[in-house]
Amino acid sequence: MTALLEIRDVAVRFGGVRALDGVTFALQAGELLGLIGPNGAGKTTALRAITGTVRPDRGAVVLDGLELTRLPVHRRVRAGLGMSQQLVRPFRAMTAIENVMLAAGAAKIRAPFGALLKRDRRPEREQALAHLETVGIAEAAESEPDSLPLGTLKRLEMARALALKPKVLLLDEPLAGLNHIEARRLAETIVELNRGGVSIILIEHNLSEVLRICGRLVVLDNGRVLGDGAPEAVMADPAVRAAYLGPGAEVQAGAGHA
Amino acid sequence: MLAFELTVQGLIQGSIYALIAVGLTLVYGLLRILHIAHAALFTLGGYFGVLVTNATGSFGLAIIVAMVTVGGLGMLVYRFCYEPILDRPPHVALIASIGLFIALEEVFRLVFGPYGISYTAPPLTASVAVAGMNLKQAEIMVMAGVVVLIGGLAVLTRRTRVGIAWRATVTDPAMAQSFGIDVIKVRYLNFFIGSALAAAAGVMVALLNNLVEPTMGSVPSYKALAIIVLGGLGDVRGTLIAALALGVVESFGTIYLGTILDRDAIAFVFLIVVLMIRPQGLFGRA
Amino acid sequence: MDYEIILMTLAGIAVIAALGLNLITGFCGQISLGHAAFYGAGAYGSAMLTTNGVSFWLALPAGALVAGALGLVVGLASLRVRHDFLAITTMGVGFLFVGVVRQQDALGGEMGIYAIPDPGLGRLGYMVLVVVLAGLVAAFSLYLKRSWMGFAFDAIAEDEDTARMVGIDAARYKLTAFAMGTAIAGVAGVLYAHEIKYIGPDSFGFPESIAMLAMVAVGGIGSVGGVAFAAVVMTVLPHWLQVVAEYKLLLYGALLFAVMRFSPGGLAGLVRSWRARAGRFGIAATGKDEP
Repeated sequence: MTALLEIRDVAVRFGGVRALDGVTFALQAGELLGLIGPNGAGKTTALRAITGTVRPDRGAVVLDGLELTRLPVHRRVRAGLGMSQQLVRPFRAMTAIENVMLAAGAAKIRAPFGALLKRDRRPEREQALAHLETVGIAEAAESEPDSLPLGTLKRLEMARALALKPKVLLLDEPLAGLNHIEARRLAETIVELNRGGVSIILIEHNLSEVLRICGRLVVLDNGRVLGDGAPEAVMADPAVRAAYLGPGAEVQAGAGHA
Repeated sequence: MLAFELTVQGLIQGSIYALIAVGLTLVYGLLRILHIAHAALFTLGGYFGVLVTNATGSFGLAIIVAMVTVGGLGMLVYRFCYEPILDRPPHVALIASIGLFIALEEVFRLVFGPYGISYTAPPLTASVAVAGMNLKQAEIMVMAGVVVLIGGLAVLTRRTRVGIAWRATVTDPAMAQSFGIDVIKVRYLNFFIGSALAAAAGVMVALLNNLVEPTMGSVPSYKALAIIVLGGLGDVRGTLIAALALGVVESFGTIYLGTILDRDAIAFVFLIVVLMIRPQGLFGRA
Repeated sequence: MDYEIILMTLAGIAVIAALGLNLITGFCGQISLGHAAFYGAGAYGSAMLTTNGVSFWLALPAGALVAGALGLVVGLASLRVRHDFLAITTMGVGFLFVGVVRQQDALGGEMGIYAIPDPGLGRLGYMVLVVVLAGLVAAFSLYLKRSWMGFAFDAIAEDEDTARMVGIDAARYKLTAFAMGTAIAGVAGVLYAHEIKYIGPDSFGFPESIAMLAMVAVGGIGSVGGVAFAAVVMTVLPHWLQVVAEYKLLLYGALLFAVMRFSPGGLAGLVRSWRARAGRFGIAATGKDEP
């Protein structure tokens, strides 16, 4: 069975630092994959290599058979990637629903002159509202991002990414900065999205939630893959435990992350 | 021989550019503002230089008065013009600075007259033969002056506590603040030093041309902008090198490209070519 | 009456040029300090044609094309550099244009081009043409703002990187903005050349670029009505204020500074905040909640 998204032997160097040193893993269709690892392991770099923000020195990224490695960011998005970022970046000059509408209208703004000829935003507005409902923030639709709390903005990022109708949804630390209850709720939403058929790669520090919801884990440490498999098996691996419990990550249930 | 002369002339001109551009890059490095009004302080320095020399007969005194007064005015410009608009989008400060510059040039014209003023007894006009060329004493003084001033700046920033605090603030204001550095004081110091250097440049240009007129800041202001971009915005050493390089490039360019382009456009051709190859400037970090 | 007609014509030309810049800087967020170069390209391009017997009606689109092509090239620069770097690069382009034109005898060198032929519409007819074109450009701008292209521009203007993350080909959009905005400036340039009937390199330098940017900033970046209004006022006022001609530039500089210092959203921003205050008194509810 060919994987939906493959990362093959990707290596990235920043100046003198090896951020990623030959990372290989794959996402199967319908999976909810957790990408974890201690601070500085290279998780965000790996994500950036997938989205195209960072150019790897070697290796390939393949989505559904299409090689993404040479493509610019917007082409990868059109090929089927959707991403929600760790530091949320909504368009502050637009309302929440307008943010999502823009993504929903991706087909209309493919080409500038085509976009010039189109004015109707109503279909996208309906789609956007549906996406906002899916992530549970429909009541914030007409609000401006500056007036919304972080938890809502995180969901907005997700709704915007969903509106792109992606084949793969990449979530970069969506639970960061949320308290215990908010994190639990957002994690539930992510599970529902996955059950609805969206394939997801989830980068997260909040191990208690990740262990709970992910079907498979990939562990990175120092730019290398340390473990790849079912959560219990991976966390039982002594090398993984050393990488985590050495520098002191918190795995107790109920530990929130500030 | 021609090449050598062109190079020396270029370096002299480049030194003046350096004095102006350093102030500009200091402001940018700290506040991310393109301080176009900076060139008006350059002109004002020239005015003070001529007026004080004519009144007291002492050129040395004139330089000091010009630098200190204009340095102080620079601090006022920060306090009343830029501080209130720091958190606005970048085009606001840019246009405000342009408006300020235009207004100041007009004030100079209205107060000092449109035709400019000159030294009643121009100092340092004697010629000196150096390495087969005839240089005016003034030109030698300019080069020496730039070395002293920039060297002084380097010593200040590396050896004194004030200077180190300044460098820390430019690199990382939040971190500097958490070390107890008064960021506001650093900003004032920044404007003082930059404006004082510009004033010195004004005095020197007045010396070289024996004329200060209200619009003399226009062309240097544009070129200084090109220079600080080339040098890597906020990078003093890069700005210095870029300034000297531009002086020399212009010097040769006017001779060899004079039929296609006029002198001022050369600076911008140089800039555009470099930026297209290296978008971060000659010395900027990607 | 003649004097008023000329004034109206010049005001209309300024509106067109300013709206062109508004498209690039206001809609798409790409700061351009060299807009006068494209204005000049249209002027010179058309003047070269009409002084050699080509009809004004052909020279008009030709001038727009020349300006737009130049704009496309400069737009490529916007793909390499952003924000402050772009501002200075565009400034450089402006100087480059003047610098090159000055040295070309074929373009009249320092002296410029004289005796540009009259399009044959008469003073009033020409004014009507200019006003109609200004109206068309304004209407186009308003339409564009509401279209999906305008939506994409909004995103790029605010946060180019995130715009790419929602699939927007920011590069193509920026190039399109430059091409369109500069072509519009070119139209203004053609109209200018055939109104004044003389052009020289000094008409298209940095002060002119700043004047256009000032119209956009004072009017309110992105606001079609605001920019048009500011363009008219800033063209007409200096003529009416000839009595204070001595202080014209001083007032101009002070105005620029004051607007940016006290109302960075320009005149449109002032209008918006008045409306909001009226709304708070219950006169108009907009449905947007205050934090």
